[in-house]
Amino acid sequence: MMLTRDQVQVLAAAVDLEIPEQDLDNVTIRVAALLSAMENIEAELGQDMDAVEPLPPVFPREDF
Amino acid sequence: MSGNEKLFFLSAAEQGRLMRDRKLSPVELVRACLERIERYDGILRAYITVCGEQAMAQAKQAEREIAAGRYRGPLHGIPFGVKDQLCTKGIKTTLGSRIMADHVPDHDAAVIERLNAAGAILIGKENLHEFGKGGTNVFPYGQPRNPWNPAHHPAGSSSGSGIAPAAGFSSGSLGEDTGGSVRSPAAANGIVGLRPTFGRVSRYGSVMYGWTADTLGPLTRTVEDNAIFLRAIAGHDPRDPLSSTRPVPDYAAALRPDLRGLTLAVVREMTWPDGVHAEVRRAMEAALDVLRQLGATVKEVSLKLAKHSVPLQLLTSDSDIASMMLKRWLRTRWDDFDVGTRTRLAAGCLIPATVYHRAMRARALVRREILETLSGCDALLCPANLNPPGRIEAAREQVDTPEDMDQKVLLRRISTYPFSMANIPAIALPMGYAKNELPVSLQVAAKPFDENTVFRVAHAYERATSWHQRHPDLARTLHQAAA
Repeated sequence: MMLTRDQVQVLAAAVDLEIPEQDLDNVTIRVAALLSAMENIEAELGQDMDAVEPLPPVFPREDF
Repeated sequence: MSGNEKLFFLSAAEQGRLMRDRKLSPVELVRACLERIERYDGILRAYITVCGEQAMAQAKQAEREIAAGRYRGPLHGIPFGVKDQLCTKGIKTTLGSRIMADHVPDHDAAVIERLNAAGAILIGKENLHEFGKGGTNVFPYGQPRNPWNPAHHPAGSSSGSGIAPAAGFSSGSLGEDTGGSVRSPAAANGIVGLRPTFGRVSRYGSVMYGWTADTLGPLTRTVEDNAIFLRAIAGHDPRDPLSSTRPVPDYAAALRPDLRGLTLAVVREMTWPDGVHAEVRRAMEAALDVLRQLGATVKEVSLKLAKHSVPLQLLTSDSDIASMMLKRWLRTRWDDFDVGTRTRLAAGCLIPATVYHRAMRARALVRREILETLSGCDALLCPANLNPPGRIEAAREQVDTPEDMDQKVLLRRISTYPFSMANIPAIALPMGYAKNELPVSLQVAAKPFDENTVFRVAHAYERATSWHQRHPDLARTLHQAAA
């Protein structure tokens, strides 16, 4: 996913976070990489993801 | 090795037996550890706070109790340290951050309470990546260094917790593992580190914002020591609503020297991926031979979804943590964070809720694949680190390009994150040394709450090899560094 610095600044403003100029490229690269990874995961697993509930962190009923 | 060196590098179990038999004094051991810290930690920087006076007072009390016949068990009189992420009553708890420099909790973490009750002696608070996040570039309390070669990193985020037992500063540590923060420093420092099953150990009283994955686990010089420490800290705690009510086994009593009847599965994607170091590959092949000789059946399995673990954990756990940091500090104290921490947290703040929840569903699939695979074997195997620990400056997570994000942030975590995602127990233990004398490490994971199998495999392998008997010669390695 391509994200611009301006888009990241808008995203940050939506949560009232100001990202200084010297760190903006770094944050942009990080967010773009994570959203790109999620796009790939959706492409590979999206249908299966529709069929499961989000992860509970503990093992309440499993046979272990 | 001098007599004192032998004392420092005895296992905690052996130190405990000597104390029980009154052949070793807790005062003697704690004093020796404090002197060793004083001598060497100026370079290694394992500790943020050393609790010298308190530790000596506790050692004297332990000595009196043991002399009076009130021996509490295998950790009585044993010095330990904790990652400075775990709250300690009246003792500074910095989280490795300038922001928390004056933070003095009014309570102990549950695991501290339990080790106190076992008679163990807190010797210090250990250095870490800021807020327990990986990726710190500049450490406000000093650059932690690898005792095998101080030009190299000790991994993280529980960096000091890995250095201290390896350097003979303490008999064991407690660290915190969200993605690999116990196993990675154990691997880099040539010791044993366990991520227990989520829910096995109470998280109460520690700063644990990654609520779906954070676990507390021991770092020790042997597998038996790890089993002893885990038994002491495990068990239900009503103050942690996600802690398990399952009984806690006597893990150390269940250790055996053979692996007959066990089927172990090598995870292809986590063992032989592109980029695995040739010496790690050779050590892994040799380790598999040892495991077969011990009676295990070894097969290979595929976890096709494991490759998604790192981005999924960053999309979710980083967002969980960021959500706690944004209001408190990120908006107002930006410049007080290390650049690696603040940019990672900022990214976590900007993940849309819709993406977060889809990622949580994907995590369920990754976990399901791992659990289904474990239904066909007793344990999973892979290296704990794909490379021996590199030089400090080369390992810094400076993200200037998308390639940096791939290489420095995502790919290097592939060996530990999948087991975190499944919230299953996983242990790292020494499986050899590279030509440059830096450690490489084997990882063993098993079904939820089956720490006994993890310990059994690790212990049998450890006893069949001699890696755990090697220790860094600090007089030599640190002298070379100074020169």
